[in-house]
Amino acid sequence: MTMNATRGYHPGLVDLASGQVSREIFVNDDIYAQEQERIFARSWLFVGHESQIPNPGDFFASRMGEESVILCRDRAGAVHVFLNSCRHRGMKVCRYDDGNTTVFTCPYHGWSYGTDGALVGVPYFREAYHSELDKAKHHLVEVAQLCCHKGTVWANWDASAPPFLEYLGEFQRFLDLILDGWDGREGQAELLGGVQKWIIPCNWKFPAENFSGDTYHNISHRSVDLVGVGPSGRSRRDYSELNVARKLHVAIPDRGHQTITYVLPRDHEPQAAYQNSPEVAEYFRDCEEERRRRPAANSRLIGAPGEIFPNVALLPRQPRTLAVWHPKSAHETEVWRFFFVDRDAPQAVKNFLRDYYIRYSGPAGMTEQDDMENWNYAHSASRGVIARRHPYSYEMGMGHAVEDYEWEGLRMPGRVVDLTKAQASEEPMRNLYRRWAQFMAADSWDELMTWRRNVPREALAQSEAAK
Amino acid sequence: MSDPINIRALAAGTRVVLATGAEAEIVSNPQDGVWLFARYLSSASDPAMVGQEDMIFAQDVVEVRS
Repeated sequence: MTMNATRGYHPGLVDLASGQVSREIFVNDDIYAQEQERIFARSWLFVGHESQIPNPGDFFASRMGEESVILCRDRAGAVHVFLNSCRHRGMKVCRYDDGNTTVFTCPYHGWSYGTDGALVGVPYFREAYHSELDKAKHHLVEVAQLCCHKGTVWANWDASAPPFLEYLGEFQRFLDLILDGWDGREGQAELLGGVQKWIIPCNWKFPAENFSGDTYHNISHRSVDLVGVGPSGRSRRDYSELNVARKLHVAIPDRGHQTITYVLPRDHEPQAAYQNSPEVAEYFRDCEEERRRRPAANSRLIGAPGEIFPNVALLPRQPRTLAVWHPKSAHETEVWRFFFVDRDAPQAVKNFLRDYYIRYSGPAGMTEQDDMENWNYAHSASRGVIARRHPYSYEMGMGHAVEDYEWEGLRMPGRVVDLTKAQASEEPMRNLYRRWAQFMAADSWDELMTWRRNVPREALAQSEAAK
Repeated sequence: MSDPINIRALAAGTRVVLATGAEAEIVSNPQDGVWLFARYLSSASDPAMVGQEDMIFAQDVVEVRS
């Protein structure tokens, strides 16, 4: 498999029949440029959390793909996401990470926008423009769709994309493992502290693939396990439930989302965890018992690393974070990691969990440092003309995924690989690159919404109305 | 040409004179160094502005009265 004279994406670079993926999709600048249009301008992207903008006028400068955007709450309380670029000459109208304001003022020529995006101030409007400029035509560019889901804010530039929850499909239950309280109450997550941000020299798909469910690389975290950074002083996480759980890969083929998850047996008693702090251990035991009293199906799931297409990583437990892999170039990614706790948890519990998070994740976190070494050196070793001739292998476990998986009465969606004995598979990675290739090839969302093709016309009309 | 005025230092209630000769009272200051929100107290060139609230561009402020 070689690139030959073909520039940019073409079918065959992702060859799932043979389990081969060309290195070009990671290191080719033309393909990267196409990704911005085909993937990041059409996908639902995570922008931030409502707890970052609780009051009118609050804002948080975020990103969508390469674009700088402003997440803000206007004076009337409505949430907006705007392109952070003046309509006059393109200067950023917001150069702070976060804050509260009445207006976003461009420092270049002074055009000024309200928190609802309306152009409200134009220097020399009467004198130089003779009051003839139509301010209504120069509103800050706003995303086509926005969705607030259990506090998280998601946005999409494409008006023809499906609504966010339809985009998630049956994967929603895995995202909700982060956003719901540990005791099972809905939407109890609170963003704690600031967002960790750092830049790594690799393509954004290296971390996206890793968090899709790469259990095969556990060996590279051996030193962290030996140190015992975990919250009970052993290994890097508390794993005691896993002795009785089924360990699964779950991939949603028509959406491109995938995860590791653990399914507990029926009537399973909570296991000891967070043993380094009696207070935290008691808090989690109480929460686990409460969770089991609730009828929600999620009470038998333990969350683990997963990925929402294209660039949002889940880590529902230990530590509980969302990460975004913002593309900067084919060879550079800006990582943003958001850390969540239960809103009502005692402060001592939040402090303990924050310390564990810092030990584990982020640029100084021991586990994330291992990952970054792998991604960064894999990327640099794949850029040469010789290296590019040789595709990566994604052959592990091909043909061993099943549909309609069920264990002790709990059905799992999508395609499932039981890892309890197998330990690892590359089904999630194949799922990620299948969806990636579909996005790169499709000219419209109509081609990408394959699940709608068999839906009765009345249901489609209801879905459109909901948008 | 008058010396530039640091409008970030101006509090609500301060009266300013504009390049047109109009006088306005600051209602709020977004602290961006570019704009003030103010109410016109006088405006010989456009009397209809008196009592109106408007955004005042920093370069239009030529004098601080109080």
